[in-house]
Amino acid sequence: MTTGVRVNTAVYSTTHVATGMLRGLRQIIRASGLPTTKIINQWEVLERGVATWLGSGHLRALVLEVYDPAKPKNSDLVGRFDFTIEYDYYSDGDGELWLDPDTVAYTVRKNGSYPSTCDYRLVADTADGYPPVTGWSGTTFRSTDGFTRHSAGTALGGGSLGANLSYYRRGTP
Amino acid sequence: MSVIVRTVPSTPIRTSVQTWETIVGLLTEAGQEAQAKLTAVTGVAATLIAEEYTSLAPIVVKPARGERVRIYTAHGALALEGEEPPPLATWPLVEAGWSLSLPCAAEDIDEMRDLLEKHPEIEVRDLADGITAAAAPACASAPGTFTINYDELERP
Repeated sequence: MTTGVRVNTAVYSTTHVATGMLRGLRQIIRASGLPTTKIINQWEVLERGVATWLGSGHLRALVLEVYDPAKPKNSDLVGRFDFTIEYDYYSDGDGELWLDPDTVAYTVRKNGSYPSTCDYRLVADTADGYPPVTGWSGTTFRSTDGFTRHSAGTALGGGSLGANLSYYRRGTP
Repeated sequence: MSVIVRTVPSTPIRTSVQTWETIVGLLTEAGQEAQAKLTAVTGVAATLIAEEYTSLAPIVVKPARGERVRIYTAHGALALEGEEPPPLATWPLVEAGWSLSLPCAAEDIDEMRDLLEKHPEIEVRDLADGITAAAAPACASAPGTFTINYDELERP
């Protein structure tokens, strides 16, 4: 079921998408069998960064990396979930604010759960020139070699914004 | 016992963190000890607001003395149509001995309790217990006035 409300304000769509993406990623973390205490403890910093960079147009994607700390770096990725931002999802910029929980539920069903020894982190993929936000630091993505990306569809949107959810699984399509 | 009710417009008017900051500003003034205690649980409170649990059951504030305060959040169309909440007549958390209860879904409650272990004044409760959204006010009263909702007085 998709729920929505029509509005025509860029600030409102930014707020809706920022909070909605974090909510969706926490649901994925919980459904994957991992504790959500980490994302809750970082919630304030995460939401401020995501809302700021959505508002400035610099956020390209918000990424959840799940990794196994026991494995060597660069081969420790076990799963990945991307909310990729589409700034012109609605060409007329007059879309409604909506959220489709089925897209998140589908993604969770396709991935199952991870061992409780796994850890996770959130990474913002930003365009050059992004405004600094306290609490964030630079990093690089873990290697996705051997993984295949699958799109689950657009999970939420508003104004001209859309956020497409995709996930990575090991193996070929 | 009397009860004061307020509804704070949340997403898309405010992010979940900004909504909690507005609630903290309703309950405390700058420099107050309780303000630091509420700010310290921003992650937990903002997460519960993002899940919209606070639209289904209120945040319940019990001061050491005086009126109990119940705070709801409004989301989506209700947030867009709602008014900003009028300030409370007094700061309810000035005196030590207050407590604040946040509504939470059963599936999240253990994690939230762990995170609040070092915050004895603040607790989470199952939103299915007691107070429900059935009589939650759709919007706040006019600025500069306060209203006692007598239906709320009948609730546990």
